[in-house]
Order: sequence, then structure tokens, then C-alpha cells
Amino acid sequence: MANIPIWPGSSSFHPGDTPFGFYDKDPAFEKDADKVCTFVTRRLGYPLVEIELQAINIYAAFEEAVTVYGNELYAYKIRENYLTLEGAPTSIDIEESIVTPNLGRIIDYSEQYGAEAGTGGNVPWRKMAVPLTASVQDYDLNVLASQHGFTQSNDIEIMRVFYEAPPASALFMNSYDGFGFGLGGSVAAGIDGVGGLGGLGYGGGYLMMPLNYDMQIIQQIELNDMVRISNYSFEMHNNVLRVFPIPGSGGNIPESGSENGVGNMWVEFMLKSDRTSQSIVEAYEKIKMVSGVPYKNPKYEDINSVGRSWIFEFTLAICKEMLGYVRGKYETIPIPNAEITLNQADLIAAAREEKEALLASLRAFFDETSREKLLERRTMESNFVMEELDRVPRVIYIG
Amino acid sequence: MALFGTQRDVSLFRHMSRELMADIITEQCAYYKYKLEETKINLYGEAAEEKFYIGPVLLNTLVERTDNVYPETDLGTDYDKEVQFSFLRDDLLGAGEDFNKFDNKGNSYTGLPGTGYGANLVPQVGDIIMYNEGYYEVHETISNQYFVGKNPDYPNNVNTINKTDGPGDLSAYGSNISIICKAHYVQADKLGLTQARFQ
Repeated sequence: MANIPIWPGSSSFHPGDTPFGFYDKDPAFEKDADKVCTFVTRRLGYPLVEIELQAINIYAAFEEAVTVYGNELYAYKIRENYLTLEGAPTSIDIEESIVTPNLGRIIDYSEQYGAEAGTGGNVPWRKMAVPLTASVQDYDLNVLASQHGFTQSNDIEIMRVFYEAPPASALFMNSYDGFGFGLGGSVAAGIDGVGGLGGLGYGGGYLMMPLNYDMQIIQQIELNDMVRISNYSFEMHNNVLRVFPIPGSGGNIPESGSENGVGNMWVEFMLKSDRTSQSIVEAYEKIKMVSGVPYKNPKYEDINSVGRSWIFEFTLAICKEMLGYVRGKYETIPIPNAEITLNQADLIAAAREEKEALLASLRAFFDETSREKLLERRTMESNFVMEELDRVPRVIYIG
Repeated sequence: MALFGTQRDVSLFRHMSRELMADIITEQCAYYKYKLEETKINLYGEAAEEKFYIGPVLLNTLVERTDNVYPETDLGTDYDKEVQFSFLRDDLLGAGEDFNKFDNKGNSYTGLPGTGYGANLVPQVGDIIMYNEGYYEVHETISNQYFVGKNPDYPNNVNTINKTDGPGDLSAYGSNISIICKAHYVQADKLGLTQARFQ
């Protein structure tokens, strides 16, 4: 029959006594391991009562506590810096690095909006002509796209249809000639006002006006054309373009050089497949997910007394839980001619509560030292200082 | 096939029982083992003259006392009392057993008089237990408190699993926890264990 020793009152740590051996060669860890055993067992009642644990159980708890501390710390650092870390090489020595935030990933994230708005982004816009045919109002752009080589079905997404006449600011205008916007009369406007030959600006009887005045004039001309005189429009349903008016009717001027003599419309479109292909970038040996940030286990000797104190308490909670499970494997323990019930339920309940409280306090502590909170606190301090200074009579100069 | 009640668990219970009986409750008695071979018997097998005992051995025990009774006899008022002594069976086994050679801390008992276990003693009817200056003769022994219902002394079947934790049969499972001795009061002068003389 076996005799399994329990806590004898002292211990002697040797590398290899912990399950994983993460910190076994750390002199500070080795030094603290036996002290932690003494601390834990005394907190649990030794030598007044026996502790049904062995030193290796406590070493395992100690190692787990250090690892949990490191995990919490590094998880916090990853959360704090992930925008900056994502895409960085995995070879960086992150534990010895100070991370300064940058906007790189924010700009990357915002490219999607630029792509949709047509102001940049990472998805190219493509362009194709829609040859209009006299008396044909509907044009299937999917068919047209496949004729242009975009054979994947239902892949195009029309972003813009060029359906209007040339901008009004490029035409000869009558209504807005005069100072600051041309020389006077339609001919003058065509020469150097807002006309097609010249740009904005120079006029024979030129009076310098504020730039916003010119901009308002331009917008007014455009809006005037759109509301009062435009007869060009379109509808789009399931990539079938319906143009108004029907080409060849209503006095449309045939575009010279077009195949059918009616003219071309132009559309800009995006390939849906481009969105995916441009959004997914293979990045070997780069940080791609939070689990890829190359944090390792913490160096125990670098953990300060605040952290070590937390580790000791967490070790105690783990040991308490462990002892509860040992004592609670059987609901009752047989002794000669009787049975006894031990305090396993109390131990386990207390241990869980303590572990949760310790984790909560650690996370709260880390959160309090986050970049956001530090800046917030600094702002508050600054405000409080200003409030206090406001109470000082103004006659006193503080420089 | 057995899954629960390995000797590892039994070892834990032994630690707990010993802590409870030795360090927390600490009820003790002196056990005098009847020495059959030196006791002379008469024609009827009765030990009419002297009885011989081995011991005493100091043991930790759990005691259940009954009230004193004073029966009226032909000779007058008598005195009687029944006491039940519960022993951890492992304490009574041989001192050479590993669980009796070492204390809970893994230290050897050798050289620590009074702290060792392993009385090498089998309680039997007729043995004498001294408790609180009184002598009690054992008239019944009970040994049927089995953990998980198994007495490892009877490994009737070959165990097919968990072979690494024992010899591979059921002797590595269960435990015979206790030996209970029911005893009644006997007068000291009848035993001759101590120099007692009543005028």
C-alpha cells in the first residue's frame, strides 16, 4: 500500500519541478518558489493543520500565477497597440520595445470608404463605353462587361454613369457674365470667363472677388442646368441601364465617330471580386492576429513587487482551490467507525471568489494605465490645476 | 474492474485520520495483548490462574463511552461500564509497512519514540485496554468498515485497468479502515497487571 507524502513543512525547489518549466532557470523564481510554498501553506493553516498538498502542487500554482499575470499584461498591451502592431514583422523583440502609435492601419481601414466614394482606396475603378443605338433605351451592362473581358458573372458594380452634357462651366454662357466671371456676353464668356477656352479668372473688366463667390457662381450654374434644362437621365436595375431620352430621338446630336451614329455613354464600375482580392493580402511572417503578436512568457525577475504580490495572492487562490478539490474528491472521508466532511466547499468557493477579484483588480489596474486613461487623467489634472489657479486673485502674476 | 478507491486516495484518508486522531482529538489508550502461549489453562480450557499480556502499547483511538451502571448482585452493588474503542487499522499493522515507517511529512519515524505507527497487533477477544485508569476487557472485535466496499486483502478478480497504480489486481483498491473493539470494565486486581490490592 502506498504512502503519498503531503506537505512536510519545507521544500527545496529544483529546475524541472514545475509542469512547463517556463521560469525554472530564473534565479528570482527559484528563490521565491520555496518562499511561496511557505507563504501558501501558512496561509492555509499549517502547522496547525495538515495541508494535503505537495511542494510540486504549489510550484505548479506559482508557475500558473506568473503565466496568468503575463497573459493579462500582454493581452492588455496587445489591445492597447494592436492597430500599430498588425502587419509588423513577427521577428520584432516586442517585449523589449516601446510602441508608438501611428495612423498606418487607420488609413488602411479608411481606404474602403475612399474606394466606394471614388476618392482613392484600394479597389480600382474601371471604365467602359456604352455604345448607344438609335431607338434602344435599355442596355445590359453585364453583357457589355463580358464583351470587354470581365467574364465573371454578376461581378460588376456600377459606380458612376456619365449621362449629362458637358459641364455648364465649359459652355458659352449668357447669364453670368460680367465682372469677375468673364468679359461680358456669351462670346466674352467663351474666351476667358467660365467658358470653354479659358479658365476662371481673367476678364477684361476684371474685379477681384472672393473665391467663395466664384465657387457659388459655378455651383449655381451647375444646379441651374440640372434642374431647369437637363433632359438627360437614366435608371439602373440589375445592371440594366435605361437611358432617357431614347437615343436618336428628341434632337440628340449624333456623336461624330461613333459606330452607330448616336453616340457613347460611359460608365465607371468596380469589380466585386476586386474588393475581395484587394482586401485580403497574404502577409507571411507578419503579425496578422492577436495570437501572432510575439509576446513570450514574462521574465519573472523583471516583475516588480506590485506584480509579485499579485502573483503570490493568485498562487494562494489556486492552491486553495486545489486543496478544495483534493479534500472534495469524496464527499465524506472515512475515519474509524465514522465519516467526516471536510471544508472543500468553502475552500473552492473562496478560491473562485478570490481569483475573480484578483483578476478584476489586475485588469482594472491595467486599464487605469492605458494610454486613453492616462491622457484622460492628465487632462483632468490640468483642468483641476486651472480651476485652482482661477481662485488666485488676478493681481498676482504667475509666470 | 475498479476505478475509484486507489491506494493514493487511501493514503490521503490515512493522513487525515491520523491528523484527526493524533493531532486534533488525541484520545489514547494502552493496549495489552493477551499472551496465550504463557497462560496456563485448566482441564476445561479456562485460565483459572494467571494470565499474561504483552504490552502495553500506546495507541490513538476514538472512544465511545457509555454511562456507568451499577447492577445489584448477590454480593452487593457492582460496577460496570462498556466502552467502544475504534482504531485505525493501519496503525495496528506492522511497523515495517511503508505507511508506518514514515510520518505525514515523509520523515522516518526511526528515532522518534512515541510518534511511530505500526503496533503489529491483532485485537482479539480477551485483550485488555487501559483507558483513564480503568481496565476494559475486549469482548467483541469488528472489522468491516471497507472503503468503496472493498477489502484489499481479498483481491478476487484481476483488474483490467489502472494497472500502473498497483499490482494489477484488486488489492490496490479499497481499504479496511478500522478495527472496533467493544470492551467492558474489569477490576484491576483480577488482571494482575499492576500491583493493586484491596483490603
